[in-house]
Amino acid sequence: MSWSINILCSDRRPIQWGAGISVLLVGLVTLTFAQDVSLRPPASAIAGNPAAVGTDGSGSATLYLVGPSITLKRNVELGQSISLSAKELQTSGRYIAIVCASRCNSVSFFVVPAKPVSLTFLVHPSRAPVAQNDAVSGVAIAFDEFHNLALTSVPVQFQLTIKSSAPMSRNAETHDGIAWFRSSSGKSAGPLQVTASIGGDVSTRRVVQQVASDPCNLRIKGERTAKGIVVETEPVRDCSGNPVPDGTLVTFTAKGGNETSSVDAPVKQDVARATILAKGPVVISAASGVAMGNEVRVGGGD
Amino acid sequence: MLQALPPRVLPIIPSGIRRRTVAIAASFLLMLSNSVFAADSAPQVTLSVAKAGPREVEALTQRSIVRDYKFAWANLDLALQSNSTAPLTGLLVGPAAAWLNDAVTSQRRNGISRRYSNQVHKLDAVFYAPEGDVIELHDTAEYDLEVLDGSRSIHTEHAIARYIVLMTPGADRWVIRQLQSVPQFE
Repeated sequence: MSWSINILCSDRRPIQWGAGISVLLVGLVTLTFAQDVSLRPPASAIAGNPAAVGTDGSGSATLYLVGPSITLKRNVELGQSISLSAKELQTSGRYIAIVCASRCNSVSFFVVPAKPVSLTFLVHPSRAPVAQNDAVSGVAIAFDEFHNLALTSVPVQFQLTIKSSAPMSRNAETHDGIAWFRSSSGKSAGPLQVTASIGGDVSTRRVVQQVASDPCNLRIKGERTAKGIVVETEPVRDCSGNPVPDGTLVTFTAKGGNETSSVDAPVKQDVARATILAKGPVVISAASGVAMGNEVRVGGGD
Repeated sequence: MLQALPPRVLPIIPSGIRRRTVAIAASFLLMLSNSVFAADSAPQVTLSVAKAGPREVEALTQRSIVRDYKFAWANLDLALQSNSTAPLTGLLVGPAAAWLNDAVTSQRRNGISRRYSNQVHKLDAVFYAPEGDVIELHDTAEYDLEVLDGSRSIHTEHAIARYIVLMTPGADRWVIRQLQSVPQFE
């Protein structure tokens, strides 16, 4: 604590002040006692925990606390620790404690985040084709109970589980509160459960629907009937053996002599079916996406 | 050749003139400081994406982030100066918006305000999600902070502050979701 004395003098005027004193250099004398209050920041402050700012001196003063989500003002007694409640320090970041008596003094300190208790988990996409490289990605962001980004590095375990397959794990450390992974999709269609967890007690789960990829190995068969040539595929599957979704289009093409005609048919319950009106012998082929099927020769039928 | 220097004569200035000179100089300084505050321009924001990953930050995204971050800080300053949450609408969301609302509310209750002038923000993108739905930035900010109780200035400082920022894309802009000051970057 230090004290300073300021003496302010007005104009020099000769003042009769009794015998022997002819001139006095006296005007208005003002004594100002400006008190520098010494403040001590908390040794460590954790979000949601009480802390105290130490003060020296005596008398009353006004405390201002300016933080990321709070500004408070209250009277305090100098020479005592100023208690800051847990609620006043919930937000992580820089705080400035300003104490004003005859003059203002300040000290700043940081409140660090508490331990992580929740994970925000962003997983993409919601539907992914099977057997695709780097098809699924996830970002986990760790927060403490007051929604502060938990900045201390912690290990995050990502687990990808699909029915009838062994779960796959990826481990990552958070950096500035964030950990992420990227993975290929599995080979089986169905819900892929993606879980991010910290230490076993903080866990968040998301689901990615794995769907069949493009058709693979189209096989068709056809026969002439009274109404025309009925052609149909064998169950259409992707290269991993998953049945493609209903609605997947298969294009049948019939070539007879100089004529070519084609028809699109959607897959319904694994099979695409069409009737081609053609006379004489034709060669029928099928395609879906980049997959080509076998050719079928159907005679004229006369 | 040495020459004798004339004796240095200090000008004798009457005390009245001296006081007036001091007063004029003080007024000039006051005017100058006012004009500096008046000339306080919009925040300056620069962005480096050299450390960003795993996704590359597209040029258009970089421009949007700089524009929206700058706009957010200009309005954040305005909100904390005027103690009104109106300027913050839509620029901050989630915890960042809640904290700023709380700060403004408690300032208003206590008759306190603060201003961030002469802002310079140097942003470093340190993480950009694979699908581009969140970006993490380090902001090394420099500004003059003034805290006022009513019209009385109770604290001024030239601060160098560090913020960890999470921004997410909104419908037509990038919004600040997390704005957390830290003593230093890891």
